[in-house]
Amino acid sequence: MKLAAIRPVSRALARELAVTALLLLGVSVVVFAILYLAPGDPLNVLLEGQSPRSQLALGMREALGVPQTWYGQYAAWFGKMLQGNFGNSIRTGLPVLPELARVGVYTLTLTLGSLALTLLIAVPIAVHAAAHGGTAGNTAATLAAYVLSAVPVFWFGYIVVYVFIHQFGMFPLISGTAAKQEHAWLYFLVPIFVLGIASGTLSEMIRHLREELSRVLAEDYIRTARAKGAPVWRHAFKEGFLIPVTEIMSAKIPFLLGGAVIVEQVFNWPGMGRMAWQAAQDRDFPVIMGIALVAAAFVRLGNLLQRVVFTAVNPRASRE
Amino acid sequence: MDAPLLAIENLRTYFYSRAKRAFIRSVDGVSLGVTRGETLGIVGESGSGKSVTALSAAGLVTAGPGVISGRIHLNSNGASRNLLDGLEKYARVTEQDGRVVAVEKDERGWRRRSETLMAGVRGKEIAMIFQNPRSALNPYSTIGKQLVETIRLHTNLKRESEARERAIHWLDRVRIDSPRLRFDNFPFGMSGGMCQRAMIAMALSAEPSLLIADEPTTGLDATIQSRIVDLLAELKAETGITTLLISHDISVIQRLSDRIAVMYGGTVVETGRAAEVLAPEAKVRHPYTAALLASIPSAETIRRKSYLQAIEGEVLDTIEVPRGCRFYGRCNRVTEAIRENCAGLEPPLGEVAPGHKVRCWLYPSPGKA
Ligand SMILES: Nc1ncnc2c1ncn2[C@@H]1O[C@H](COP(=O)(O)OP(=O)(O)O)[C@@H](O)[C@H]1O
Ligand code: SF4
Ligand SMILES: [Mg+2]
Repeated sequence: MKLAAIRPVSRALARELAVTALLLLGVSVVVFAILYLAPGDPLNVLLEGQSPRSQLALGMREALGVPQTWYGQYAAWFGKMLQGNFGNSIRTGLPVLPELARVGVYTLTLTLGSLALTLLIAVPIAVHAAAHGGTAGNTAATLAAYVLSAVPVFWFGYIVVYVFIHQFGMFPLISGTAAKQEHAWLYFLVPIFVLGIASGTLSEMIRHLREELSRVLAEDYIRTARAKGAPVWRHAFKEGFLIPVTEIMSAKIPFLLGGAVIVEQVFNWPGMGRMAWQAAQDRDFPVIMGIALVAAAFVRLGNLLQRVVFTAVNPRASRE
Repeated sequence: MDAPLLAIENLRTYFYSRAKRAFIRSVDGVSLGVTRGETLGIVGESGSGKSVTALSAAGLVTAGPGVISGRIHLNSNGASRNLLDGLEKYARVTEQDGRVVAVEKDERGWRRRSETLMAGVRGKEIAMIFQNPRSALNPYSTIGKQLVETIRLHTNLKRESEARERAIHWLDRVRIDSPRLRFDNFPFGMSGGMCQRAMIAMALSAEPSLLIADEPTTGLDATIQSRIVDLLAELKAETGITTLLISHDISVIQRLSDRIAVMYGGTVVETGRAAEVLAPEAKVRHPYTAALLASIPSAETIRRKSYLQAIEGEVLDTIEVPRGCRFYGRCNRVTEAIRENCAGLEPPLGEVAPGHKVRCWLYPSPGKA
């Protein structure tokens, strides 16, 4: 990359990081407010249903050092968070951050793996359709992808589980971690496969990539490239491939995270989605806050990547 | 006279209109020759098939069915090749009364075949420049990079640094100021005229045998247009490059061409030496050429700011081609003696003088009735 192009990119990066910081702050306030206003008190879990308004509960609050006002509670949480301390889980008593890191890796594997799989399927279909128009082969493939994308992911997941039990007589008790089981690799790959195929991302990815690439291939400058005997792909790559791919990736990460929550439930995948589910049941506030922030950061990361790539390849964006 | 550099014979390039369920006969039996060193100007109103003729010669037609018949001979470097060699194996054309009624074409097969035939020709032997130069250059790449790419592809300068020096040399030759600075410019930061200069530099940097310039001044400001015309004239004088120039603007054609072909409705209606075809006192002139010439604003009309005299009637859409002369519906010179012919029989492109051909019943070629 030319030196001249580095400055706009670093400027875009700085701007995106600032936006991310503000956004995370907003997310933490909103989630905190929702938790505060929602019915259910975490103390109930600790007290296992014993009367929460009793002396016992108050004593417990004091013992735990929980401030009385909501802003007091938020300020306390925020102060600790800035020091990298997200508090301890109310349920397990374990510190939230290392726990998040532990399960976050699983969710990251699941979402990024399925994203890679979606790309692996969508790119060849989209490129073929854009380059050759609708042939019987790529039309059939596109249709199949559209049908699969329309299937709800939980339903597809249960079908897969069903097939495993009845056809192969095996059941993925705990996928992901089950390194010692037989066919561990299968339990590992099947959830990735399910999320990649049925998260609803596939069809939109094919459509976006095909439309963008077709549009670019019809541009005047591609005709010039052909007229001068240069490889078309070299000229179509940036606008027709790189930009749309990063666009659709960053746009689809939130949906993949949503899908991951379901897939993790169906397949017992020990990731953040399952932890979030459990934490919501338990009103485990510190865990919920932590997960909300990590998920939001992940989504922003996709945006950031897209902006950086766009600024790096687009000379116009660089000069703005 | 040796064989022409480029000889197009009976070229037909059709498209299919789904809406009208009929062929668009964009190029319908065109024959043209471009002699080494000359500039052949193709002129005609927009939609007469000029660009499609050029794109067919460069193998750049993408829509179907595309080129369905003809031969395009390229005689360069001592070798002669037909750029449509083997086309008849891919396209089966059914004719009725000399009209194409059905085409069965293996377009994919033909495209692959055409790519093979055009390898080493496109960009190298035949270079092209287009209208709207700002969109014709890659907006994601600097003009320097785009020139270097062409030079490394088509000359024996393969090293980046050598190609770079040559690119700067060409930018200089098309009169771009401070070419070293412009080298790193992206097209979006440059004016239309500057972009067209860069396009011309890029096309010539491959040292092609033939330059096809398709509406090189269209879409530019009037003053810039005349500068580009000047530049083309200067480069022509310096390099002597064989040029196929296309324009709807007969004054551009007039300034740059040695010979002229006038196109209407997918056919050539008149061709000959520029001096002869455009001579003010010419006795033999196709009514369409006459109408085109009349549309040039004279010094007088420009001074009085009166409107251009447009040719009456609509350009033939080449979907419903009339039986007789294609210009019949708009022609104001039909006489009673030839009316029946004009309406019912397409006139042949007859030679009225050596090298001067006209497709009109008014001028029966000597020897024929
Ligand atoms: N790709 C295409 N598909 C369908 N019709 C086309 C296509 N390209 C050109 N045509 C039609 O062919 C005719 C001739 O076009 P063209 O050669 O571009 O005219 P011009 O003389 O202005 O350059 C026009 O009627 C145009 O609409
Ligand atoms: S053939 Fe007839 S209609 Fe056609 S240009 Fe000549 S005079 Fe006009
Ligand atoms: Mg044109």
